[in-house]
This record gives sequence, C-alpha cells and structure tokens, in this order.
Amino acid sequence: MLKFRQTRRGFLATTAAVGAGTLFAGLPRWANAAGNTLNVRFDGDIEILDPGYMTGGVEIETQQAVLPFLVEYTTKGDTFTWRPTVFAKSVVQRDKTHIDFELNEGFKWSRGFGEVKASDVKYAFERMKTTDWSGTFEALDHVEVTGSHSGTVVLNQPFSPFIMIALASGPAAILSEKATEKAGGKFTLDIPATCGPYLYEQIPGQRVVFKPNPDWTGPQPAFETVNALVIGEIKAAELAFEAGEVKCTKIGADTMARYQTKMPPNSALKVAGELQYMWMGMNTEHPKLQDVRLRKAIQHAVDVDSILQGAYSGTTAKSFGIVCPGLIGKRNKAGYSYDPGKARQMLSEAGVSNLELDLRTLNLQERMLAAQIIQANLGAVGIKVNVIPMDSGPFWDMGQESKGDTWKDLQLWLMRYGTNPDPYEATQWFRSDQIGVWNWERWTDPEYDRLYKEGIAETDPDKRDATYKRMQEIMENTGAYVWINHEPETFVHRTDIKIHVAPSGEMNLPNFKRA
Amino acid sequence: MWFYTLKRLGLSLAVVVAVVLVLFSLLHLIPGDPATIALGPRATPETVARYSAKMHLDEPVLVQFFIYVKDAATGDLGVDVFSNRSVTKIVLDQLGFTVILVIAGLTWAVLLGIPLGCFSAVRPNTPLDRMTGILSVGTIAIPSFLVSIWALLIFAIALHWLPAIGAGEPGDTMDQALHLILPAFAVGLGWVGYLARMVRASMLEVMNESYIRAAYAFGLPERTIVYRYALRVAILPTITLVGMGFSGLLSGAVFAEVIFSRPGVGKLIFDTVMSRNFPVVQGAVLITTSLYIIITLVADLLVAWLDPRVRESL
Repeated sequence: MLKFRQTRRGFLATTAAVGAGTLFAGLPRWANAAGNTLNVRFDGDIEILDPGYMTGGVEIETQQAVLPFLVEYTTKGDTFTWRPTVFAKSVVQRDKTHIDFELNEGFKWSRGFGEVKASDVKYAFERMKTTDWSGTFEALDHVEVTGSHSGTVVLNQPFSPFIMIALASGPAAILSEKATEKAGGKFTLDIPATCGPYLYEQIPGQRVVFKPNPDWTGPQPAFETVNALVIGEIKAAELAFEAGEVKCTKIGADTMARYQTKMPPNSALKVAGELQYMWMGMNTEHPKLQDVRLRKAIQHAVDVDSILQGAYSGTTAKSFGIVCPGLIGKRNKAGYSYDPGKARQMLSEAGVSNLELDLRTLNLQERMLAAQIIQANLGAVGIKVNVIPMDSGPFWDMGQESKGDTWKDLQLWLMRYGTNPDPYEATQWFRSDQIGVWNWERWTDPEYDRLYKEGIAETDPDKRDATYKRMQEIMENTGAYVWINHEPETFVHRTDIKIHVAPSGEMNLPNFKRA
Repeated sequence: MWFYTLKRLGLSLAVVVAVVLVLFSLLHLIPGDPATIALGPRATPETVARYSAKMHLDEPVLVQFFIYVKDAATGDLGVDVFSNRSVTKIVLDQLGFTVILVIAGLTWAVLLGIPLGCFSAVRPNTPLDRMTGILSVGTIAIPSFLVSIWALLIFAIALHWLPAIGAGEPGDTMDQALHLILPAFAVGLGWVGYLARMVRASMLEVMNESYIRAAYAFGLPERTIVYRYALRVAILPTITLVGMGFSGLLSGAVFAEVIFSRPGVGKLIFDTVMSRNFPVVQGAVLITTSLYIIITLVADLLVAWLDPRVRESL
C-alpha cells in the first residue's frame, strides 16, 4: 500500500543536489543595477493612484513617474522651495490670489488621448475640491484657461503656501480630462491615461516596475528601468541595501546612527527633510496643571538632550518649536533651558509638592524610552510620573471631545505630528477652534489666531518668518509644551547615483541621476 | 470510514464558524473607532462616513455579522478598504508563494529528518545517536526568525551567495528557486529536528515488535527491515505531524516572509495588520484557517485509511 523507498545512496544524491544548487547560487546574478536598471525600495503596494483618493507615499512616487505636474520640490540653501517641472514652461505667482502657468507643448497622453493641455490642469485641480484631499485645495477657487497650454490658478483668498503644499505635492497630479471621464471620473490602480518618462506595472506584494514610455518626448531619465521592490519592513530594506539588492532606501534612526559611525562601502546618507515635530504636551485645564508656574517648571526639568541621545541615538534635530528645519519661521532657540535647580525653585514658588502625573504615549520603542527619561527627569525634581503606553486607536482619540471623556483626564502626553513644507500647516492645529479636536493643550490666544490668518495671507518671506516665530513664542509661553525633536526622513544610497527626494520623503524617480 | 469522515467534516465546519465569530468580534473589541483606526486620525468626517457605510459599520453589530457570514459563504470576503480589490483575489494571489515556501521547507526537512531519525533508532544510545539528538533538539529550539536573520546575514550579506529579499524575477524559474533557498532553509530547519525525534521514537517502538525480531531471525538485511518493514509503520504519526506542520506553516511562515520580504499570506497579514486593513486581515486569516483545517482533516483521514485502529477509536 505505502511504498517508501529511501536508500542511503538516494539520500546522498539528494544532499549533493541541494549542495550543488547552493554552490551554483554563489553567483550574485540577482544583484542590483546591472546595466540600465535601478532597484529601489517601496514600503508597500500601491493601492489607489487617483490623486483624489490615494493614501500618499508610494502612490505619489508612482504618480511622479507617470503623470505630469506643474511644479516640484527643490532646495535653495537650507530652505525648501519649488521649481517648474519639465511639463511647465513657466509658473508665476502674479499676486496673492493668482498663479499663472504655461505648459510646454508636445507632451502626449497615452492611449491616444491627445496632448496635455491647460483644460486638463483645470479638470484635475477643480475635481480635487470634491475628493478626500479637498482640504488641500480649500483655497482653490477655480482654474482659468487662457489658451490651449496656458491658464491661471485662482484662489478664493490670499493663501501663500498653496504652491508648496498643494501644487508641489502628490494631489496636484494632472489628469487627462477625456480619459478620466471615460473611466467614470474615478480610478484605482489603472490610470486611464499617463504621460511621463515611465510606464508602470505592479506585481502585488513584489514590485512596481517602471519601464520606458516609448511615446515620451521629454528628457530621458538616467535609468531605463526602475524596479521598486516592495519591502515593508524598514529593517529588511536596510539589509537589502547592505546585500546590494537595492541602491536606495529609507532607513531608521538606529541604522542612521550606525551608518554615521561606519558607513557601508560606496554609500552615502541623505536627509530628505525633518518634517515631523514632537513635543510633550500638558493639559492647561487639568486641575493639577492649571498653574503656569508649574508648567514652566516642567519645561525646565526635562533634559531634552538626554532624550535625543538616549532614545534617538543622536540622529534627530533638537526642536525649538513646531516649525521644522528647512521652513520659514524655524526657531533656533527655545525660551527655556534644562535647569533642574530652577525647576525646583519654581515648583516651590508654586507651592507644589507630592505631585503625581500621568504621561501617555504611543507604545513605540523611541517614545517609551523618551517617556522613561522624562519620568526620571521629573522624578529628580519631585514629580512622580506614571508612564501609560497606549495603542494607536485610543491614543489618537484621547484628546478629542467627540471621542469620549478621556480628554478631561489628560495630563501629560508625548505627541508627534507630521507636516507639509510650509509652516502654516503645523500652526493650524493650535488655533482656538481646535480645542477638543487637535489642540489638546486647550489654551486660546487671540493674537495667535490673528497671526495664523496673517501668516497664510502674507507672501513676504521675512514677514512670514517673524509671524511664525512669534506664534511659537506664544505657544511656549503657555508653558504647555516641552519641545523635543524633529525626526528626519533619511535615505541611504550608493554613491554612483544622485537621488532626488521630497522633504516629506517621497522619491522622485525620474530625477534620479548617475553620479 | 464514511461515518468517521462525516464526523470529522462536522467538527471542521464548527471550527470554521468559531473562527469567523472570533475574527469578527476582534474587530469590534479593538479599542477606538474602527473607521478612525483604519483611516488614520486625520481622516475627514466625509471619508469616515463613506468608509463606515462601505463596511456596514453603521449597521448593528449582529447585522454586520450576518452580512459577513452570508458573503463569506459565497466566497465574497469583501474588498480591500483602500484599493477596492477583492479580498479573495488578494489572498489567493499571495497563497501560492506561501504554499511553495512551505512545501520547499518541509520537503528538505522530510528528506533529512526521516533518515536521521531512522539512523538514530537503529543505533540507539551510541555517540552518533546522542549527537543527532543534540542537533535535533538544537534545531527545534532555535526560533525560525533567528534562523532567518542569521541565514540572511551570512549567506546574503556577508558571503553574497544568495539573494536577500523577494521571490525572484517573475517568469524566471531559476531566479525564483534561488530566492527560495534561504527562506525554505529557515522555515524547514526546526522541522528537521521534530521529524528526526518523532521518527526515532516511533522506530524504537516498532523495532521492538515481534515481527521485526522475526525478520532479523530470518536473516533479512537490516536496510530492508528498517526501510521496508519498520518505517512503513513508524511513519504513521509522522504523516499527521507533517500535515499539521504544513498547515501551521501557512501562517507560521510569516517571520521568513517578513524578514526576506517575500510575498505570501503571512506577510500579507502582517502588512495589513500594520495598515489596519481589517477586511484583508479577516479574509486572509479565514482562508488560512480553512486550509489548516482541510489539510489536518486530509492528514487525519489518510492516517485513518492507513490504520483501521484510528477510525475505530472514534
């Protein structure tokens, strides 16, 4: 019935076959970047390529390879700014509410949908007002078509960040009006018509392959084919880089610290941006924290430098406010410093003793380490801190009045927000109308609200700089914030390529060059 | 045999229903609003409302459950919340990679583990048997994620002998086979030990049977006695073990899949848990659980077919 034949000779033969297979495998044929192919890392599958309904990240990276944009990010010295893409002859901010543009001629949509025209820009931008990304286009009134390839973006209010936060980022991909409407006005993975140096093909869970677009008439990209390998885990991506299977990948803070000490051969680091700001917040309405002297004592009691070293291995920039490095309004100094003696004196003046506070944080390695350092710092000045680690679901609900009553019990918490490359975005969460939404510190200041409106209307960079610095000063004076750090988006790449990444960390693959 | 089969089928169905119930309950037991968890804290109210309607989250929980069961019974496990793709298709696309990995891992484990077990059993308590025992226990004790990491560090990064990540070039069988070696090694290593220990124990028992002693008395060659007579009986518990191993590894291969960034159901579940894509998590778990049950059932039926004593005991 059951015939089982296993001989020693057979076993040896099998073992030999496996051994031979291993030996033949010794040739690194899979290794990256043979010829004109570039391997990079994507951190997940693309899900929705419709700019109105996408998640972002890899979807923006894909759009930038296959769809037209008016402008793209660049840097000027240490500051992020924008420049027209190959699709645009000119993009000019005429006044506070008008942005004139002119497209270059000759760029054709795939599948025979004709040339890229100003009417496509109008269609793509105006449809955004009714999509999931409508908030980004809130300031858009309409797009005026003035010629087949020219037009004007008209804003409904002076809104100086519009080019940076709307046009230079993912949601401003231009779509073919005819093709998109033919597809029903909405799409997921199959873009109805593309126009870019590459065509794309996704193999779910494995890779997105960018191949040359035979109809492309613009400048040829440096790499004929780009394999974007889907590697979800950042640690796996780092190992893939070290194994030579990808030439460029984002890396984590601990690896950045390791590479700063010992860089892999022929490799370089690039910090794309530091558009995240982390702080320890205090609920100014909580009975235990209503005295501003107590809150300011806590500001003096926390040793932020220890957090940066102990929790982040010295890889993150020290924060002095919510405006991130590279942006107008970035502060270079806080109004307080680590001084436990002063903290003790202020606590004594406030008549505080035997104080016990809860510190809530997301249950992530770095945050927990930071929380424990804060716990030790505050313990040293006589404040007992209970660290409460939380999962993301309840954490993000806890300060919102619409999600229950936890906001009443909030005392201290570690928070990190991400932002766009313009200071307006970070400042919006702390207006009076955000109390119980995202302003969990629950303070109001009429001057702050006024400056917020002035900041978005102002186009003079120097005036904006002063405005945003003053807004952060107001925040700091509430005593409700201990600024901690700005985590970087760091990439490692081989030195034989030059990479182009947005401050928010998206790779612009057509702009990758050979070094 | 038919009665036994029906009985086992009924039990399997009950397990599937229990799994669906637990899976469904978990989504509602997670603290926080399911829509906010899935879409992120800054999702607009319109997006949250649209998501809630699409996922029937605005219906009573019991209604949601019946909708899910009704759809699942017809093979419709819903759609991916982000891309709108069919969950069934997403899971089935990834399942092949996991099945291949598990087959490769278990194949080499069987090819090495069974002869090792036999070898130990026919030379009990010799230094070679003890060494085999230590090696077997050692391979069982080392977690597969550790094996994966070390294999990757040594063979892919330090020596550059084998590829580190992925499943290889689509359509290039040789490349795909090369990409399979390290994950299959990591997945199968522990099973070499399991199988060797299991076969050794079974063989020792069988080798003391009177018909084996009779075979020796008749002067039959040892190889014939061991492989033709003893192993045929001793292999029975191993079939169940391999069946369970195959089923367990369908989701247990997750470490190897994540570490080697290899597509597969385990990695799919991991990724979708991280992105809070609950319909895909539910669908993937349901499909792998069903497969687990089917394979365990097949293994049990196979053993019952081979050994009448088993079916009589139920």
